[in-house]
Amino acid sequence: MNIFVENVIYKYITIMNKFLRITFLSVFFLSCSSDLDFEQVNDLKLEPIAVANLAAFDIKANQFVVGGVEQSLVGDVMDFDVFSDVDFSKNLSRVDLFFEFNNTINRAYNVNFYLLDDNNSKLYTIPFFVPANSGSPIVISKTEIFENTKLDILIKTKKVAFVITMLPGTPLTDASVGNLKMRSSATIYFLGQ
Amino acid sequence: MRKISLFIILISMSCFSQNKQLLYNFTSVPQSMLTNPGSDVNYNWFVGIPLLSGFSANVGSSSFSVYDLFANNGVDFNTKLRNVVFSTSRNDKVTLNEQLEVFSGGFKLGDWQESSYFSFGMYQEMDVLTYMPKDYAILALDGNKDYLGKVFDMGDLNARGELLSVFHLGYHKKVNENLILGVRGKIYSSIFNVSSTKNSGYFYTIQGTNNVYDQVISANGLVNTSGLTNYLENYSGNAQSDIMKKTLLGGNLGLGLDLGFTYYPKENLQFTASLIDIGFIKHTKEIESYRYKGYYNYVGLTPDFVLGNSNDILDEFNDAIPLDTLHTKYTTWRPLKFNSSIQYSFGDGRSSDCNCSGGNKIKYANSVGAQLFAMTTPRTPLMALTAYYRRQIFESLEMKATYTVDSFSAKNIGLGLSTTIGKVNFYILADNLLEYKDISKARSLGFQMGLNIIFPDKNTFD
Repeated sequence: MNIFVENVIYKYITIMNKFLRITFLSVFFLSCSSDLDFEQVNDLKLEPIAVANLAAFDIKANQFVVGGVEQSLVGDVMDFDVFSDVDFSKNLSRVDLFFEFNNTINRAYNVNFYLLDDNNSKLYTIPFFVPANSGSPIVISKTEIFENTKLDILIKTKKVAFVITMLPGTPLTDASVGNLKMRSSATIYFLGQ
Repeated sequence: MRKISLFIILISMSCFSQNKQLLYNFTSVPQSMLTNPGSDVNYNWFVGIPLLSGFSANVGSSSFSVYDLFANNGVDFNTKLRNVVFSTSRNDKVTLNEQLEVFSGGFKLGDWQESSYFSFGMYQEMDVLTYMPKDYAILALDGNKDYLGKVFDMGDLNARGELLSVFHLGYHKKVNENLILGVRGKIYSSIFNVSSTKNSGYFYTIQGTNNVYDQVISANGLVNTSGLTNYLENYSGNAQSDIMKKTLLGGNLGLGLDLGFTYYPKENLQFTASLIDIGFIKHTKEIESYRYKGYYNYVGLTPDFVLGNSNDILDEFNDAIPLDTLHTKYTTWRPLKFNSSIQYSFGDGRSSDCNCSGGNKIKYANSVGAQLFAMTTPRTPLMALTAYYRRQIFESLEMKATYTVDSFSAKNIGLGLSTTIGKVNFYILADNLLEYKDISKARSLGFQMGLNIIFPDKNTFD
């Protein structure tokens, strides 16, 4: 479009807009309003609390026996870079990790849950002792709370690992029954300001 | 200053109900033809003062006011926000509609015996309607910890917003003494559009057995945008010039139709009805859409002690519910408005020394009537019922008072004045007058004004 025409149109729009605004606001100013404070928006605090699964496993007694030989040490390392995400971690105020073991095998276990960095170096260990089942089911639970400086450990975590050590006892065979079950969850306290 | 910021807030979160109960059938104002192309409006010719002939703005919120959130009353803002969120339902809405007539005009066809009229013009319209995204708000405020068993509805996200210009050409004709029919064709040029109105899906967390929780997300979300892609990334052009081009038919184009009639079964009894914006816009340029679709049953990490094939939960999630960016054309329908009215007139409005034989325009000084308004929305239609009283105060001053009941207010009193001095017509219409005594507590406000030059119809030969 011709620059001159465009400029004339803009000028006209500007003047008319001004006129319109003045008329509109003068009507508006005839009204009254309660005392309002829009700065209050800065007080906004979002503090949701989320719950989510963390991990779960279910190992049958005979899975500890491979080729007739009892495996007393098993483990697995997994990628876990949820809390290390910057956008996520800057709004964290506290994380509770909850673990529950249910053992129906007649053997006791030491289970370690490791928080690891990128190089598989241990940042933190949560140990569990799960006694052998001799009749009634064994349920062991523990909640580990991460807040303040301890929260930084979680934020540095890139991987996690479970390492299970089966303690000596009546040998397991392919026909052994029972399970070692674990389930765990995270309760995440956010603080958005 | 406070009022200005309040005004800005009102505009930015405002709900424009689009019900122009004061303008509708207020026939001394030519712009009433935009609410019914078959209005009984007579003129030899008229022209609207460019940019001043028609300005209307409505703000509204069906469930809360600015006061509820921002009152300076010592109550913590977060408490007020929670009160607002928990007192609203997913069907509560916030809407904004603004119209600014850029130019308009009209003329009578043929000689004094004819009674058909052309009218034309162009206006710019902004239209925003958003429902309360209640379940999203609960998740943001509280999270899911205290809501085990609750199914969060992803369909709570339902919003649309648009800025467009409209070119229109209308024709109305007095078919006989009792009936006026009108039609108006429209070309829409959409400057930008955002719409996300067909989302569905759910998210729930319940106590599990093998896992601590059973957690499922099923999402089917789509956000369509047009006319915005240039501004989202490094934009180097001239936005003002861009918008001007899009206003002048350079945007995404659409077509529309208005239909209406006025019928007098008796001289002092009048029926009217209209359908406004039967139309659509095809979005083909500068389109970008975001789709979020899938199903994910989240069980957490599952260590594999035998083979070491454990899962990566972030990958799993991204694979299950990918966020896709699409560039597919889409069509939006304009909100369809339905208006109708019945009016009974009485009282002799002719001045005693008038011996005018023709023209029934000022024959009755008073009219009472009722109007029904309905508008389509992504969910249930908006409805409003209005009772009104119209009076010709002087030959040059006409008044209309309305009482409206709708989802925003049950005691909406409005007043409109139209004055024609010489050839200059000025009108000002405002509703929810009761709320002006404390505007911060108002849930909706509507305001219209304009300036025209009208050369009155001559239905005598001279």
